[in-house]
Amino acid sequence: MSASTPDFNTRKSTIQSGSTILFRLPNGDAKAVKVDKDCNVSLGRLGVFYANELINEPFGRTYDIVDKKLTLIPPRTLAEVEDTDATNEYINDGEFVQPLTLEEIQSLKQSGAHASEIIKMQIEQHANYSLKTEYSKEKYKKRKEAKYSKIFTTIDPTLFNVCEYWFKKDQTRIRDIRVDALSQILNMANIRPGGRYLAVDDASGLLVSGILERMGGMGRLITICNTDSPPAYPVMVHMNFTNETIAPLSSLNWATADQSHIPVAPPVELPSEQIKSDRQQSRLNKRKAATDLLNSTREDLFAGEFDALIVASEYEPFSILEKLVPFVAGSGSIVIQSPFGQILSEVHTKLRALPGYLCPSLTEVWLRRYQVLPGRTHPTMNTSGSGGFILHAIKVYNDENANAITSHRRPKPTANNSSSNKIIIAADASMEDAEEA
Amino acid sequence: MWSTAREIAAGDTVILWLTRELVQSLVVTPGKDFQSKYGHYRHSDFVGIPYGSKIGSRTGKGFIHILRPTPELWTMALPHRTQILYIADISFIISYLDIRRGSRVIEAGTGSGSFSHSVARSIGPSGRLWSYEFHEARAKKAKEEFAQHGMSDIVTLTHQNVCKDGFNLTDAADSVFLDLPAPWDAVEHAKQALRKDRTTRICCFSPCMEQVLRTVSALNDAGFSDITMYETLVRPHDVNQVPALQSITEVAEKLKKAEGVREIKRLRQIAAGQKSHENPHGEKRKWSQEVGDQGELPVAEAEDSGSGKRLKTDDEMDDGTPSQNADVSRSLDEPATQTVRAGASIPAPPAKISVSKAIPEVRGHTSYLTFATLLPPMPPALPESTLPQGPETT
Repeated sequence: MSASTPDFNTRKSTIQSGSTILFRLPNGDAKAVKVDKDCNVSLGRLGVFYANELINEPFGRTYDIVDKKLTLIPPRTLAEVEDTDATNEYINDGEFVQPLTLEEIQSLKQSGAHASEIIKMQIEQHANYSLKTEYSKEKYKKRKEAKYSKIFTTIDPTLFNVCEYWFKKDQTRIRDIRVDALSQILNMANIRPGGRYLAVDDASGLLVSGILERMGGMGRLITICNTDSPPAYPVMVHMNFTNETIAPLSSLNWATADQSHIPVAPPVELPSEQIKSDRQQSRLNKRKAATDLLNSTREDLFAGEFDALIVASEYEPFSILEKLVPFVAGSGSIVIQSPFGQILSEVHTKLRALPGYLCPSLTEVWLRRYQVLPGRTHPTMNTSGSGGFILHAIKVYNDENANAITSHRRPKPTANNSSSNKIIIAADASMEDAEEA
Repeated sequence: MWSTAREIAAGDTVILWLTRELVQSLVVTPGKDFQSKYGHYRHSDFVGIPYGSKIGSRTGKGFIHILRPTPELWTMALPHRTQILYIADISFIISYLDIRRGSRVIEAGTGSGSFSHSVARSIGPSGRLWSYEFHEARAKKAKEEFAQHGMSDIVTLTHQNVCKDGFNLTDAADSVFLDLPAPWDAVEHAKQALRKDRTTRICCFSPCMEQVLRTVSALNDAGFSDITMYETLVRPHDVNQVPALQSITEVAEKLKKAEGVREIKRLRQIAAGQKSHENPHGEKRKWSQEVGDQGELPVAEAEDSGSGKRLKTDDEMDDGTPSQNADVSRSLDEPATQTVRAGASIPAPPAKISVSKAIPEVRGHTSYLTFATLLPPMPPALPESTLPQGPETT
C-alpha cells in the first residue's frame, strides 16, 4: 500500500552534505549557509561549528553553540506570564539604569561567558528591572537574548519557509509574491503530480520551485525565459530538490519559443576525417545533446495541450498570453501575478473582450499574522503591505454560432456544427451579455 | 481523480459554467437532458467535444461552457452540506502543512469535501488522506462523491467522532487538519497519529478567538512548538474602463470664458437699460435687431437675468453661445461632453483607462488558522533538564 512508501525524494527529510540550509538566528532573521561535510559552518556573530554535527539531523531542531560545539536544545514552549500590579508609573525615559558598561560586557563575552550569564548580570545591575511589568521583563530578556544568545534553529526547506525567507530577504526579486499569493497561484493553476505546465518566471525561480514541488517529479514543465543560456533560478538552491524533482523542467527563451523562428545551431556532425581529437568529438556530442534537447522541448511546446500557464514576468503580460495561450488546453487555467494592480487591470480589460477567456477575475491577496502568547495575543505590529495581485481566467473554445439568450436570433447553425475548436481573437459581446443576464 | 482526456466521455463528471454565480457539476449520462435558464441541452451533445468548449443551446438561444473539474471549480459547484473552505484558506493550509506528492494527511471533519478534493489533488495517487466525519449522513454522501470522482484509492473516509474516539492511527501522518468545533479535544489524538521520525505539522481552523486560545494552550501542553496563527483573505477587484481624467486647466479655461461672456452681457444690459430709459418706446425693435447682429439668443439673456450668480454647465454654454467663437468652444467642449455622455461600454478611441478597486462588500473573515509543529523527540542521551529556550520571536 502506498502509505508504507517512504519519502518521495522531493527533498530529503534530514540535512545532507552539500545542501544550502536556512538558519533561524536569535533575532528572528534567517540566514542561508551551505553545509559541507568535514567543513566548518560559520554563522557570523554566533560563531563557528563543525558541519558534521548537523548532517543527517532532522530539520527544525534548535542548538546552542558552546565552545564551537553544538548542544541540542528542547523546543521552546509558551510560558504563562504571571500578572502583577506593576506598571510603568515610576519608570522614566533617559534615566541611567545600567551600570554595566559596554567594555565590561565585551570582556565578559570574550572570557567565554554564556549568554544567559551576561543577561543575568545585566538584570541584576539594572536599576529599574523590578519596577517593570512581567510582560516588560519578558520583552527585555528577549531583546538581550537576540543580542547575546548563540542559539539557532535549522529551518525545514518547505516551500512556505523558503518563500518567507526570500520575501523577507528581497521581496522585489521575487516580484512581491508572498507565500499566500504563491499558494493561491499553485492552486488556481491546478498543479498536481503528472500535469503539464507552462511558466514564465521572472521571480528568481519561486514559481518554478513551487510548481516543481507540487509536481513531485511527475509531468512536464516548460519555462520561457529571456536569456540565451538556461535561466538561473536562485530560489531553487534553498529548496534542496533531488534530481528526480527537477527532471520535468526544461526551458526555452522567447526566440526559441517562437514557432516561426528556426534557431541557428552550429553543426553537430562532421565528416570523420575532420574530427581530430577525442575532445573535439566530446564537444560535438555535447552540442548534439543540447540541440536535441532544444528541439524536443520545442516539439513539446508546440504540441500544446498544457494544463495551465503561470506568469510572473517583468514583460507586458498580454503579449505573453498572445504567444503562449494557443498552447494551453481547453479548460486550462491562466494565472498571471503582478505586484501592480494597474498592469493586471489593463490585461483584464483586454481579456474581457475576448471569447477565448472565460471569466477573467482580478484579486488581491491579504494576510495577517498574529502573535499568540498566553494573555498577549494580537496581530503582529509590523506586517507586509502587499503580496501582489493575481489575474485568473480559464481558456475556452469559442463557438461563434452560440447565441446569448439576450441577443437576437441569428441564422441557424449548419447541422451538427455546434463547436468550432478555434480560438477566435475578436471582440464578442455575447459572452458578457450572458454573464450579466 | 477526474478525466484527463482531451475530450469529454460518457460518465465523466463535468463542470457546467452558466455564469460566474451559477456553476454546477454533472455526470454526463447520454439519454438525459440538461435544462436551464440558459437553454436546453442533451448530455449526448457533450460526448466527444473537447473540455473547455462553449456549447449553444438546441433552441438557438443561450449557451454554456463545459469545463474539466478542478478542486477550485468543485468548490464553486459543490452541494453545501456545511460551511465550506475557500481557496485562500485551502491553499495557505496546504502550503504551511507542506502537503505535496505522497504526503499522508489527516482531516477532520470532512464536511462538504471542499478541502478534501484539494488535498487529494496535491498528494496524488501515491499519497493518502484519512478523512473523518462524525455526521453519518454527511459521511455517506461524501463517500459517494469521492468514489464518483475516482478518489477512493486516495481517501479513506471514516464515520467517527475523533474528539471521543481518536483516529485509530499511530505514527502515520505527516500533517493533521482539524476543522472541528472543539479542536482542543482532538489534539492529543492528533499527536498520537502524527509520525515521530520527522517534523510534522498541524492546523486548527476556528472562527472564534476564544477557540484559538484554548487550542493554543492544548497544543502547547501536548508539546507542539512554533505555535503561530494567521488570517488570510482574497480581495476581489472590479475592473472598469473610465475616461482619462480631465485636467483642471480645461475647467479653468471654460470658467474664464463664461466669465467674459457674462461681463459682455452685463455691459450690454446696462447699455440697453440706458437706451430704454432714453427711448422707452423704441426698445423692443432695437433689441431684436441687436440680437440678430450679435448672434445672441434671448434664452441666454433670460437665464442670465434670472440667476446671474449660477455657474453655467457645459451644456448650457453650448446652447447659449453658438455664435462667433462657436468653433473654439466646440473643440474645447467636445471631448468633455462626449466622455460624460458615453457609457463605459461604448469603446471611444480617445483616452480610456482601466482602473480597479476592491468590490464594495467582501468576505471579511473566514477562520483563524492556528498552526503548530511537532518535532521528532529529543535523543534520550540528552538531559531533558536543559532550560527550555529557543530563538522564537515575540
